[in-house]
Amino acid sequence: MTIDHDQVRHLSEVAVSVELETPEMTLNIGPQHPSTHGVLRLVATVDGERVFDVKPVIGYMHRGYEKLAEVRTYPQITALINRIDWVSGYANEIPFIVAAERLMEIEVPERAQYIRLILTEMARIASHLVFNASYPLELGAATPLFFALRERERVLDLIESVTGGRFHPNFNRIGGVKPNAGGGPTQRKVSQDLPKGFFVDTRAAMERVLSVCDELEDLVAGNEIILARTKGIGVLPVDVGAAYGVSGPNLRASGVPFDLRRIEDYLPYDRFDFDVVTASNGDCWDRWWVRLEEIRQAARIVIQAIDGIPSGPLQAKVPRVIKVPQGEVYVRAENPKGEMGYHLISEGGQGPYRLKIRSASYSNISILPHILEGVLVPDIIAIMGSLDFVLGDVDR
Amino acid sequence: MTAIPGSGLLKGMKVTLKTLFTKPVTVNYPKVKEVPVPRARGVIALDQDACTVCMLCARSCPDWCIYIEGHKEEKQPDKPGGRVRVRATLDRFDIDYALCMYCGICVEVCPFDALFWTPEYEYSESTMADLMHDMDRLQDWLATVPEPPAVES
Repeated sequence: MTIDHDQVRHLSEVAVSVELETPEMTLNIGPQHPSTHGVLRLVATVDGERVFDVKPVIGYMHRGYEKLAEVRTYPQITALINRIDWVSGYANEIPFIVAAERLMEIEVPERAQYIRLILTEMARIASHLVFNASYPLELGAATPLFFALRERERVLDLIESVTGGRFHPNFNRIGGVKPNAGGGPTQRKVSQDLPKGFFVDTRAAMERVLSVCDELEDLVAGNEIILARTKGIGVLPVDVGAAYGVSGPNLRASGVPFDLRRIEDYLPYDRFDFDVVTASNGDCWDRWWVRLEEIRQAARIVIQAIDGIPSGPLQAKVPRVIKVPQGEVYVRAENPKGEMGYHLISEGGQGPYRLKIRSASYSNISILPHILEGVLVPDIIAIMGSLDFVLGDVDR
Repeated sequence: MTAIPGSGLLKGMKVTLKTLFTKPVTVNYPKVKEVPVPRARGVIALDQDACTVCMLCARSCPDWCIYIEGHKEEKQPDKPGGRVRVRATLDRFDIDYALCMYCGICVEVCPFDALFWTPEYEYSESTMADLMHDMDRLQDWLATVPEPPAVES
């Protein structure tokens, strides 16, 4: 009888690991950790490489925007809420402005609505490009970041040429859109429309964005290391995701075609032809892939919108001092991170009585204790990164 | 998964190889400078003659970074028998750029066209206190205010 040496060694290892005392250890990740996208702290209980329990600790970036909104006027709040999710600053403004407009019963001109839609989709492209590039970086692939940020810069330049700000546009006014930096001593007399050449530049930028999507797919999608680290990791079941209030690309990656652009009418999305991208597995890889496809769909929407943009005024008639009549409204919108909603209660003053902000990242990271249970320590970063949260959006 | 091991890696290397022979998109900053767009919010310029010390900008600033003081001046009539005119004059107009959040509300509310955005951005300082620009420094920025951009019809 021959002895199978491999089997003997294996058996001895099993015996050793049973005898070894491996007490649980508390591992503290963050708040200053490059992969936490800000200042998120995770208190993980680990046994060797296995994670038993994870407790996210948030609040390091709390800036009190809900309280600040009670003592600020409506134009001042627009400047503040740019800074909630700074990766897609423009998209944050839309639901708040639409909420105030619904209470004031203002009809926004068509052209202003189209400009809002174009810039919202461009903010979505910018935000998803950051995710699709920084997620491979967290897994160790640095190159995609350079390609994606190169094209993101073009998109941000276009946003800046219209609004005057790359990250904090502060471009929406109640009743329309208006940049507050027209330049020149005659700024009150000149029209504040889109700068000349915007449509040509945007079309070129969208072509470049579509080609960088192909480049990213070539770089990342065939990479065996990335696939091994993301496929089947961090699976989010649909019922758990829905129970925790997960929304946006994270939920769509699990197979739910939940897209507020199709359900709500805060911007005229029903006039455009685009697909709601869904995937079936709900793992880290699907979340990456869904966002890549969403960039392509957003570029499709932008090209359709600049083809069909109507001419006309940019501002509805609004009083000089804005007072929102008494009432209560909740407006939600599909932000790059997920569902973002503003519950606005007005008592008729120049500022809201109460502004409740429902931000997508807060609900999205609430599944971390569930999704991180039983995974390996290196997978914490892979799963956490794939949820694409911004700490400003979590803490507000 | 790919059929041949390593073929996905080769596909990725092809992209990086292609990029190796393209021109860089970055600029060598202190030597080469990008021109910001005319609407860029860089720094705020003040036209002292247009300002009437109405305080609207200071009141509507979300983080109260504008400090204004002024006094009333009596202007004697040119001809005898005319009215004595009262004109508000600026004593102090400071913007603390360490506090400013570049929202542009002050420029927008100004009813007399005294405040302008200019895309200038090179005014960093080594101490925070130096970021307080007084009215003369703000007046100097006025020369850099660009013409408004041409617009799409």
